[in-house]
Amino acid sequence: MIVLGSNSEIAQAFVEKALEAGEKYSTVFLFTSNKETTEKFARHIDVKFLQQSEIIELDLLKEIDYTKFDEISSDLLFCATGYLGEGTEEGLYNNRNTEQIIDINYAKLIPVLNFFANKMERQRSGTMIVLSSVAGDRGRQSNFIYGSAKAGLTAYLSGLRNYLFSRKVHVLTVKPGFMDTKMTEGLPLNSKLTASPKQAAEGIYHAYKKKKNTAYILPVWGVIMLIIKNIPEFIFKKLKL
Amino acid sequence: MKPNYKQEVTNWGNFPVVEKEIRSEDSIEKIKDFVRNNNEVIARGNGRCYGDASLSEHIFSTKRLNKFISFDRLNGVIECEAGVLLSQVLEVIVPQGYFLYVTPGTKFISVGGAIASDVHGKNHHAEGCFSEYVEEFSLLNENSEVMICSRTENEDKFWATIGGMGLTGIILSAKFKLKNIETAYIRQESVKAESLDEIFKLFDQSESWTYSVAWIDCLQTGKNIGRSILMRGEHAFKHQLPKDLQEKPLRLKKKLIPTVPFYFPDFLLNNLTVKLFNLLYFNKQQKKEVKNYVDYETFFYPLDVVNDWNKIYGKKGFIQYQMVIPKEKGKEGMRRILETIAKSGNGSFLAVLKLFGKNNPQAYNSFPIEGYTLALDFKVNSKLKNLVADLDKIVEEFGGRIYLTKDSMSRSTLTNYLQNVQNPKFVSMQHKRIISNSN
Repeated sequence: MIVLGSNSEIAQAFVEKALEAGEKYSTVFLFTSNKETTEKFARHIDVKFLQQSEIIELDLLKEIDYTKFDEISSDLLFCATGYLGEGTEEGLYNNRNTEQIIDINYAKLIPVLNFFANKMERQRSGTMIVLSSVAGDRGRQSNFIYGSAKAGLTAYLSGLRNYLFSRKVHVLTVKPGFMDTKMTEGLPLNSKLTASPKQAAEGIYHAYKKKKNTAYILPVWGVIMLIIKNIPEFIFKKLKL
Repeated sequence: MKPNYKQEVTNWGNFPVVEKEIRSEDSIEKIKDFVRNNNEVIARGNGRCYGDASLSEHIFSTKRLNKFISFDRLNGVIECEAGVLLSQVLEVIVPQGYFLYVTPGTKFISVGGAIASDVHGKNHHAEGCFSEYVEEFSLLNENSEVMICSRTENEDKFWATIGGMGLTGIILSAKFKLKNIETAYIRQESVKAESLDEIFKLFDQSESWTYSVAWIDCLQTGKNIGRSILMRGEHAFKHQLPKDLQEKPLRLKKKLIPTVPFYFPDFLLNNLTVKLFNLLYFNKQQKKEVKNYVDYETFFYPLDVVNDWNKIYGKKGFIQYQMVIPKEKGKEGMRRILETIAKSGNGSFLAVLKLFGKNNPQAYNSFPIEGYTLALDFKVNSKLKNLVADLDKIVEEFGGRIYLTKDSMSRSTLTNYLQNVQNPKFVSMQHKRIISNSN
């Protein structure tokens, strides 16, 4: 298995879920921008599952040397790379913040996904599971830079799924709603709409096994986003969402 | 959206409920910052202490310190971060033929909590407290420095932290020894006792058993006082098991765990229903003595089979009252305690009686001392304060003490027994309460 964004709690919970379910991987390739933290997870799965893993440094904000990844291939890729950034007014007019959000969630991520998609295309098998976001379903004033980058990612994944279908590769787009993770700690999230990483992992694993195309983690988010997407623009623009 | 880390928080007894800052980090630098920038910090694991021991102005939740670090499968030594739960440890070690040397009555406590409370189990008389098997732990102290503590390194801090209720710092990770087992099953004997004399005698006769504990009906009066069932057990060997279990002796079948969906209404749990429950429980076992094999979960964690069982006590919550009375005066003390409870009519489900063995004098902050310990659940109501005061008086008269992990309202003369834990950095609501009541 290939994991992009290995320090994500959802990614880690997914790896554990898959191993608990009895999936076998010769090596789990853990791509990370912070090796030290990932080492803890690598030891953890070694103790818990005797699972071998390899940590590979990948910082989307730096130049990427793809030749280093030549030897790496797998039937399953899980991408949890993401960056929420500052959704506040100061954040909006801070170009560095805006660029980072766009780069990590979209611009610099797509070539990496393309690289692995190409490998799977050539081996004519595999599944790519990529975390996008409900924020990409419609731009809202509270986080639309992030939302627009995720919208781009969602559109890319939909196209990629279409392109890879005839080449026997499956793409699963996951749109988590509120998550109880480090990224959202201290935010006033409604607990009924918030999922734990463990719940998320279970939902994603289920969707993966069922070969779903897109999946919300809590079904209620499907309903919420359906409503949000269908509010006429002349009303939507007046709302505080 | 600006972060707001204040949250309503309460522990297993749902009493008290407070609004405090809770933070949870997995990066050591951020944890250090949190400790550096705040006073009145306390670590909190899975919130399974009953009262206010892990509550404070600034709570550090160890829920993200949830990784295993190493497992020496040859020598049976495991190392993990402090927020890992005993249930998670068991999942890893039992299939490999290992068990925890010491486990309390729930597996849903964190490793850090097990050390801070220096938990005990059904084998205290034979194998002591959790700390006996702790080789070392790392502690973030009041100066925000990480210290490795063991019997040979920073030993002062090691012993102050054992049973120290988190008041010496935040335990980050720990390394502890495991016990070899051949099977995941326990050879169990359940023996009924009709009186206090009989159950005390049974405890003495069961001294050679590794595990022993009694369930006691605390609403009985007169000659029935002390009516109870003693359960004693040993880890089963493979050849002892019924044939169908011998095939995979270290694997348990997955069980469905129901959840209590909401807080039960107040009137549901009253003296009558408790009496009825106790009657049914006592008479479920028809014979004087039953011998059988049960899996370790049934033996050690009978209550863990229902998630959120604390909700049956209603929204106002409940307390657990656990005291120990020195052995020589144990019988008289227990009789007085049981009489007082029966008279109060404040019935308790599942009162648990156990004989503690000798304590380890080095672990001076640990709760257990040689004697009889009784643990009772009481629903929070208007009569509770008086009952606790009455019980406290008896415990004091008999030279006993109260388990801090369960305490939320006992008199400070019974709870003020921790030493070498004073500092302005790590303070719990419980500690503050005890200190202010002592002065």
